[in-house]
Amino acid sequence: MKLAKIAPRLALLFSLSLVAQQDFTGAAEKNPQSVQVTIRSILAENKNDEFDAKLKGMEQQLKSLKYRSYRSLKDDTKSVPWQGTQSFDIPGGRILTVAPQEFQDNRVSLKVRLTQGDTPVVDTTVKIPNKGNFILGGPPHEGGVLVLSISAAAQ
Amino acid sequence: MTNCENMRESMGRWLDGELSPSESAAVQAHVATCAGCAEARRQLESLQRALTGVLVADAAPIEFIPFWREVQRRINSKRPWYEDISQWAREVFTAPRVAWGVPVVIVVLLAVFSLDSYFPGNPFGGGRNSFASVESIDAHGRSVALLRENESKTTVIWLYQNEEGENETGEDRSQAGPTF
Repeated sequence: MKLAKIAPRLALLFSLSLVAQQDFTGAAEKNPQSVQVTIRSILAENKNDEFDAKLKGMEQQLKSLKYRSYRSLKDDTKSVPWQGTQSFDIPGGRILTVAPQEFQDNRVSLKVRLTQGDTPVVDTTVKIPNKGNFILGGPPHEGGVLVLSISAAAQ
Repeated sequence: MTNCENMRESMGRWLDGELSPSESAAVQAHVATCAGCAEARRQLESLQRALTGVLVADAAPIEFIPFWREVQRRINSKRPWYEDISQWAREVFTAPRVAWGVPVVIVVLLAVFSLDSYFPGNPFGGGRNSFASVESIDAHGRSVALLRENESKTTVIWLYQNEEGENETGEDRSQAGPTF
């Protein structure tokens, strides 16, 4: 009976504290110093059914591409300042250039350019949920295709 | 209902002087001739005397003048600010339970919608921000496909080979094509 009496007040206080925390974390998100960008280079093939154990956390994402085997080629993480640019060496003599643009609504906006030698392959601007990723795939590599997982985390 | 029962029902009001003259005369005439009702009257009168005695005995010691003086002093004295706040808080936090309903529902809904910030991809967040969104894309003349896979909330940009081919090894191009 006593609990039933104080339960609505406890619920209200708990909810208020959640909203207050949201405000504080929101304020903290407004001015992150840099973005930690991680590029995972993966080779997708149809030669066998091998799935690299290093890619366990991405299994569901990669399986949607419907290749038979996936092998991790390289992982690279760099801290990139806002409005700055950072280049990542990608297997096959490619270079991926990443430029964080803005951070809004818990999403990181990234300008991404993939080049092969001097030739641009693709230019794109993508808004990624903070600590989320997207996949850029398709360039042929060693008899399979190159799949890049590009993730960003505001710091 | 017998005549005696009717008379006993009216007897209390008769003793308190609340009956009309004609009703009062009727009760008085009945009590004079009915031994049972006369006994009931005696009992009621003795009960009334006892109650009056108790009330008078207890009321006498109460000192009303200092009581009202203290009330007057409290009304005139200025309360400190913290008492005002505590009074306000008491009024707010002791509102009827139904009054809590609406704010509680609103705040809980707000909290549920904000869960996405704490636990991205939670089932209550509605997946509003789960997908990466592609704002612009330039594949420099190549064919490109944009895929959104709902199950894993994945956004995929897929580049197709151009006509000249970019296959480094010259292998079957069907291997390099996506099979979504």
